[in-house]
Amino acid sequence: MLDKLDPLMNLMKSDNRNTPDRSSWRDKKNKLFLGLVVTLSIVTVLPIFLILWKLVKEGISQINLDFFIKVAPDPLEAMTAVNNGEIIPGGIANGITGSLLMVLIASLIAIPVSILAGIFLYEHPNGWYARLIRNLTDILQGVPSIVLGLIAYIWIVISITKGFSGLAGSVALAIMMLPIVIRSTEETMKMIPVTLKEAAAALGVPYWRIILKVMIPTGFSGLMTGILLSISRILGETAPLMLTALGSTMINLNIYKPTSAVPLLIWEFYNNPNMVRLVWSSSLFLMGVVLVLNILAKRINSRFGNNQ
Amino acid sequence: MIRSREIFTSDKIAKVILKSASFLVLLLAAGIIFSLLKGSIPAFREFGIFRFIFSSEWNPTEGKEVYGAFPFIFGTVVTSLLALIICFPLSFATSLFISEYFKKTKIAGILSTLVDLLAGIPSIVYGLWGFYTLRPLIVDLGLSEQGYGIFTSSLILAIMIIPYATSLSNEIISMVPNELKEAGYSLGATRLEVIFNVILPVSRSGLVAGYILALGRALGETMAVTMLIGNANLIPKGIFSPGNTMASVIANQFGEADGLKLSALIAIGLLLFVVTAIVNAAGKWIVRRYA
Amino acid sequence: MKNLVFVFIACISLTACSGNKNKNEKSGSLRAEITAAGATFPQPFYNKVFNDYSTMTGNKLTYGGIGSGGGIRSLKDKVVDFGATDAFLTDEQAAELPAPVVHVPTCLGAVVIAFNLPGITELKMKNEVLASVFLGEIKKWNDPKILADNPGINLPGKDISVVYRSDGSGTTFIFSDYLSKISKSWADKVGTGKSLNWPVGMGAKGNPGVAGIIKQTEGTIGYIGSEYAFAQRIPCVLLQNQAGNFIAPSVESVSAAAQGDIPADTRVMVTNSADPDAYPISAFTWIILYKEQSYNGRKIDQARETVKFLQWLVGPDAQAIARKVDYAPLPEKAVQLANDILKSVTFEGEPLL
Repeated sequence: MLDKLDPLMNLMKSDNRNTPDRSSWRDKKNKLFLGLVVTLSIVTVLPIFLILWKLVKEGISQINLDFFIKVAPDPLEAMTAVNNGEIIPGGIANGITGSLLMVLIASLIAIPVSILAGIFLYEHPNGWYARLIRNLTDILQGVPSIVLGLIAYIWIVISITKGFSGLAGSVALAIMMLPIVIRSTEETMKMIPVTLKEAAAALGVPYWRIILKVMIPTGFSGLMTGILLSISRILGETAPLMLTALGSTMINLNIYKPTSAVPLLIWEFYNNPNMVRLVWSSSLFLMGVVLVLNILAKRINSRFGNNQ
Repeated sequence: MIRSREIFTSDKIAKVILKSASFLVLLLAAGIIFSLLKGSIPAFREFGIFRFIFSSEWNPTEGKEVYGAFPFIFGTVVTSLLALIICFPLSFATSLFISEYFKKTKIAGILSTLVDLLAGIPSIVYGLWGFYTLRPLIVDLGLSEQGYGIFTSSLILAIMIIPYATSLSNEIISMVPNELKEAGYSLGATRLEVIFNVILPVSRSGLVAGYILALGRALGETMAVTMLIGNANLIPKGIFSPGNTMASVIANQFGEADGLKLSALIAIGLLLFVVTAIVNAAGKWIVRRYA
Repeated sequence: MKNLVFVFIACISLTACSGNKNKNEKSGSLRAEITAAGATFPQPFYNKVFNDYSTMTGNKLTYGGIGSGGGIRSLKDKVVDFGATDAFLTDEQAAELPAPVVHVPTCLGAVVIAFNLPGITELKMKNEVLASVFLGEIKKWNDPKILADNPGINLPGKDISVVYRSDGSGTTFIFSDYLSKISKSWADKVGTGKSLNWPVGMGAKGNPGVAGIIKQTEGTIGYIGSEYAFAQRIPCVLLQNQAGNFIAPSVESVSAAAQGDIPADTRVMVTNSADPDAYPISAFTWIILYKEQSYNGRKIDQARETVKFLQWLVGPDAQAIARKVDYAPLPEKAVQLANDILKSVTFEGEPLL
């Protein structure tokens, strides 16, 4: 492990300690860098505030109890409401249930496979097969969501459910989750000190036990991050769902049939001149969900993980 | 004796399960490539593979249809790379803030949550926000007349991909063993020096993985780009001129496409696979050589 | 807590997988689920009437606005009960489908020319002027050709910025069909289609994209679907129809466009209609379905419910709703033809209605 200090050792050796001013220049660099880091972090957060502000300004008026329990309004209701200056009736209940269903099923499909694949890649840092899988995973991340929607259309809508269905949507979403969870699992495992694994092995712990009882709990926070990130990604995706789940005006819990989803509703709202306000409220809702998931993840981390 | 055989079998089963999971990924990727190939054949047969890739003509008029992918390839590569370049300093700085300088403080937690929120914003909302807020800003700054173009799209892409790079980097950087850092400090290194000479080399693999994921996201993004890039099916004249990307043209034309046009779009999807592979490989190679 | 979460997940998954099979068996009534996909042009109308029909009969209707091309594809792949398209299938396109299809018109819509010139709400354009603007031949708003039709209006010396649809769309098809009819120059240089090689201007995605740019930028001119323009109250150009009158788009003027001859299979573009009160850029939108409904293991009940719904759709109740959401109802003649066509839809050779 000490060989990891080599770069630092080299720096210290090369640093000419005979010049008296050197140390204050290093200090200045240090402080300057801190300033830079803080400034850039603020710049990073700026768009978040700007976007959030826009969402709240335009969408908060539509958020009430109906928003969560009623289905999307029809165009005439929306038109009359807008013409009269009222709040558009209805809500996004059909989208919420559809999204919940599809995200759940996508997660059930994707997460176990991804974590296992990620561990596999961790166990095989070299070798042509692992490198191939790793590269394919990275490439998968670059496939546009609409292409994945087309794939799910061909594989599921045409061949399996013979019609648009929530299942096809879940499959498309699951494929999108894979690269993120696989790579974050692999990289998290790599950061766990090998000594932990070696100690367990020396004690005679079987391989699968090491994974389950040592590696995964230690890297739990990293795994949760990957899972959270992938779920956040699929929550807001429209294009693949257009070709697979299609949408629905009613609440539908049957995955073999078309179903709505919040991003699909956002797309419908966007295209209807009278429902544009609901775009912002629905987005605000999605951000609220991501926030809740985030807080939940941190809670779970502190309870079940035991990292440094 | 028996005990060691038990462990041996259970080890084997575990390894088989792991390998199967990886094999599933391989099957999936192969299946996608196969389906895309099948759909692309009409277009490749009509225009010839090389002509399709390097031609800049895109004429959808019935009867005189000619399709060429080059402007889109160009647009995709330029916007994604530019987005990554803009994203990198922001993401790296934020990760350092959260996982190193202000590790485990309340403000780091808030910042981390805020960045994660960025990942949950639907891409259509990024497009809308870009259209209503970012674009007028660019026009006001006098950078472009209408506000559409490569630069605006790259900017919105950069914001979109920040959480992918940052979240993973946060985890990786915070997992660098304390002993290494303390050893560095005990040698008299400043914070900055520990960061660049201890933390960075150790976490390099994870950081690169995060940025490759972010790059992938940028390469495949459709909605937000399509609203801000100007949808001009030609090679942009300058960084503030309109252009188009592969993902954007697919998303735009897909709903109404059939026959040869659909095949051309699927071919572009397949090409995006190839472009992603090349860009990823190039990125990893650069890091290996120079970092 | 871990266990509770697990149980919760298991419950939802089981519910989803078992689906609505139980419900259907219990009620015994024909709770059919009809799925359709296609054009976005008539989507507000379809969304409204599909919803109403669902409430009325208990059947479940779903419509996905994925584009005319998507609708045709879905019908070809037999994953929907019927498709919706703004551009009727030509004989070659129809031949690509596995079985013969019929077209049923459902309503009329219009494409309007929206513009943004502060302080100006009324603008007239003759046919040649319109075509020239979109061809890029007339470049400024105060061009003498435009001034000639608009005496007394103070047109600025701004450049004309054309906006078109970057995504393939039926709206583009309808507009270009009209331009090809009134301008040989356009027909030769650009032609008709859902996606075109526009000589000048910039592209925006969807009606909201084009409307958004026009509203935000002075000096722009572009084409959008009528219901969009009406709802957003965007000023539109008065166009001159074949009879020589300058007409504003409205439900009445769009209906007037369909008063001419309609062929038995209803496949006709009614742009540039000869009727004196007609708005020149009007068009039907169609639903397409297979003439022979027993395919792919389809049940006769499903087929019958589909045709029954379509009959309701062209009937007086649904057509009255069209007016309310700014679409024009079908003229008598078209309704008659639509009914004839629906009666010709068969299941194993026997008509369904």
